[in-house]
Amino acid sequence: VNHYELFIQLLPEAVLVITALVLLGVAVAFETKTRETFAVGNAIGIASLGILIAMLALWFAPQVKGESPLIANDALAHLFKGVVVMLGLVAVWLPPARLEIAQTGEYYALILFALTGLMLTVGTNHLLFLFVALELASLSLYLLVGFSRTARAAEASLKYFLFGGVSAGFLLFGLSLIYGFSHSATLGGVAQALVAGPPSPLAMTGLVMVIAGLGFKLAAAPFHYWAPDVYQGAPATTVALVSAASKVVGLVVMVRFLMVGFHSAAGSAAWGGMIAGWSMWLAILAAVSMILGNVLALAQRRSVRRLLAYSAVANTGYLMVGLCANGRASVGAALFYVVVYGLATLGALAVTAAVERDRGNDAPNAFAGLIHRSPFQAVCLLVFLTSLAGIPPLAGFVGKFSLFSHALAGGLGFAWLVGLAAIMSAISLYYYLSVLKQAFVLECETTITCDISRTHILAVALPAVALLVLGVFPSLLLDPITSAVVELLGSH
Amino acid sequence: MTPAWTLISAFAGAVIVLLLPARAAMASRMVALVASLIGAVAAGSACLSKLANPDAAPWSFDREWIPSLGSRFHLAADGLALTLLFLTGITAIAGVLFSWNIEKRPRAFFAFFMTIIGGVYGVFLSRDAFLLFVFYEIVILPKYMLIAIWGSTNKEYGAMKLTMYSIGASALILIGLVAAYAATGATSFDIAHLAAATYPPAMQAWAFPVLFLGFAVLAGIWPFHTWAPTGHVAAPTAASMLLAGVVMKLGAFGALCVAMPLFEQGFAQWKPLIAGLAVVGIIYGALTALSQKDLKFIIGYSSVSHMGFILLGLAAANHWGLRGAVLQMISHGIIAGLLFGIAGRVVYERTHTRDLTELGRFDLWKSLPGAALAFTLATAASMGLPGFSGFVAEISVIIGLWKVYPWLTLFVAAGIILTGVFSLRALYRAFFPERDASAAPPPELPPLTRPEISAIALLLAVSIAIGIYPKPWVQLIDDGLRSPLFQTILSKP
Repeated sequence: VNHYELFIQLLPEAVLVITALVLLGVAVAFETKTRETFAVGNAIGIASLGILIAMLALWFAPQVKGESPLIANDALAHLFKGVVVMLGLVAVWLPPARLEIAQTGEYYALILFALTGLMLTVGTNHLLFLFVALELASLSLYLLVGFSRTARAAEASLKYFLFGGVSAGFLLFGLSLIYGFSHSATLGGVAQALVAGPPSPLAMTGLVMVIAGLGFKLAAAPFHYWAPDVYQGAPATTVALVSAASKVVGLVVMVRFLMVGFHSAAGSAAWGGMIAGWSMWLAILAAVSMILGNVLALAQRRSVRRLLAYSAVANTGYLMVGLCANGRASVGAALFYVVVYGLATLGALAVTAAVERDRGNDAPNAFAGLIHRSPFQAVCLLVFLTSLAGIPPLAGFVGKFSLFSHALAGGLGFAWLVGLAAIMSAISLYYYLSVLKQAFVLECETTITCDISRTHILAVALPAVALLVLGVFPSLLLDPITSAVVELLGSH
Repeated sequence: MTPAWTLISAFAGAVIVLLLPARAAMASRMVALVASLIGAVAAGSACLSKLANPDAAPWSFDREWIPSLGSRFHLAADGLALTLLFLTGITAIAGVLFSWNIEKRPRAFFAFFMTIIGGVYGVFLSRDAFLLFVFYEIVILPKYMLIAIWGSTNKEYGAMKLTMYSIGASALILIGLVAAYAATGATSFDIAHLAAATYPPAMQAWAFPVLFLGFAVLAGIWPFHTWAPTGHVAAPTAASMLLAGVVMKLGAFGALCVAMPLFEQGFAQWKPLIAGLAVVGIIYGALTALSQKDLKFIIGYSSVSHMGFILLGLAAANHWGLRGAVLQMISHGIIAGLLFGIAGRVVYERTHTRDLTELGRFDLWKSLPGAALAFTLATAASMGLPGFSGFVAEISVIIGLWKVYPWLTLFVAAGIILTGVFSLRALYRAFFPERDASAAPPPELPPLTRPEISAIALLLAVSIAIGIYPKPWVQLIDDGLRSPLFQTILSKP
């Protein structure tokens, strides 16, 4: 690989970095000259422009498979880099926080750095590069969480940093154990070393540590303790990034790691025939996440953001159900579902941000009478929450249905896990409906119409439209994902 | 007009209503009425052409949809589906007519109403299990909204309870369907394909009750019926009509056309229990109705009792039983709609009470003679008197039952007597109370409006038509029962 080709392959990421530097320069120049803060609107404009150019670059970027483990621009990477920048773009369009953010230039530059890290993470098969890219994203996110300088944000940021730091330690330790076992820093090399003999305790210890580290990224219980505080305390844009883009990336990494690297160490989670391996461990994580996430979400009465945090934990559980079935179709369904989940939770956060700005808090009763104050936002909220609950004709329904059916197709022994998931998903309708009840059924004391900026309207409308379209024509996304997974793992 | 117009008209109606300007009450009503009429006419004309041409191939529509899931957009309508479509169309028209006076957020009301109708049409037409499940679930949210926004008595509780029962039942259905899909190699959700496969007995033993219970909860099987009375009472009139009239039939339809054909062995194993629960439901519903004071609660529990006959017909699993079950679906759909319409709309809107004792003060047979006459006829139909649809249906079920579990008919007979008792009690105390001459004269009540009279006449006419001349209905239903889906069930002794 010569440098020019490398540059072409990394052009989208390069565009993001350059935009971030330009944004920083412009903001600093503006602020030193006029002694005023750089307007949020301008920062959003520059950042979106950069992301749009990165999207174009990505669209035209060549797909190269298997050339280099460092930068694997295979179909899966290509597709999910697209998803990540798209989710990032929508996140950028949100108003950042209730209180004005002091250093707008830095804030949006950090968002672009985080996106760069996330994109690089999606497209690598190399253990060390994976860690570096993931840390680029994580370090940016730790800062972004604390940016609004409230006590809540500081607490959230500190918690996120502490938990994140520990999990990064786990991840790195796990990766080094795996390297020590396989003498190779690529996933392909690990797979070969595993096939050669029985999985050594060294490799399995490493694997457990890696799963714990990635479980933190995905907010899987019991590694989820940061999630409620971060969701509640961080600026809306940051939460959008953490809940949607970061989760998508976490899943893709997990798919690559487990399905490419450790495919032969899967074991089984089938009832009555459990074999130790990552499939069984993930099944336990999935069950704990689904139960804990849903039960704790039921108890959230004061903050919709916290509710969404626990719903994130529960949804991670559903994703893991797809992973632990260890089949191409079920992994494809999990990847489809994570995109759909990202869109829905992003949209729900966008509406929450609007309500929060008007009513001063994000308690469910702040949503009261939203249908009268802003029918557009209320209807979109209906789309997001019912998609999360898995009601047709929205994409969340197709996502959950295909996830559960493909997981069970891996063997009827998974019926215990799929059954648990289906019942937990039914229970989740209760807390989503309790928010929708406020918005649609109850009357509000104020009649102020809820006006939001143009980019904010886009951030609400785009995910809603996407969820409807994907709900009726899921093959638009499901087919590319399936073929990408088949390309990654081979067809049998 | 093909049966597809039922589906198209309902969903198009919902969309058009939403596009109307805000607070356009009259226009929303008219759009909903026209859409319902188109649906009913489409279903009715399809029924007629099926009767004229019994051997013609049934209408169907089959397109690729989600290949990676093995799901196709496959609709088809045999005689059985056509009769249920027609029932839905009639209930839709009557529901719109009984909701003519809705002034609160009329656009949203009729949009949700038409969405439910569309979902119900969709379930009856689907020949792909995934598609069927999609339509089945589409109904859930509009149900909640109709009750929670426009309902009365304890509406938010009733709405949430009903919704949680529905979604919980859906989770069971999902598990059952997905298990069948996985066991057949995860290639297709086509119902005929899934039904043709043979499943290991160990799997059938758990998968059948899961799938059947999922459907049966919506059909109000005892002891999972408690959502029905609270939901019916909390719901606005049109929603009670839809819930009792057609939505509960979705459960029965799913049990008949999906759960039973898929897992025949499991069904054979579990059917004594189903029959037992059905009989308990019949008697329990009737006894509870006997002790209620609220007219809507009485009708709600009578629905539980009548739905027991459907489940009983299914459990009998012979030709008479299945035919009787489907007839009872249609019959109860019409009669429950009529009873809820009169009690919830005609009487309650004028007297603002549904309490039997309170109603006694109004001397309804004098002040609202039309309503009293209609309710008397509806009660007669509900009791299963000859000449009404209920008689034809219940007698078929009992004949079917006699052949399988003769001793159970004894309990059913007791249930029928109890039905007579609670129906007459409600009728007398609400409409023909004994009054001493010294009491204050009853207040004047406004006479029946034209939409009310039309709706009552329509529903009564259909019930009497089935009661007097059941032959075409039986022909249509038998056409559906000839489908390969039911042959294994029917061939068993």
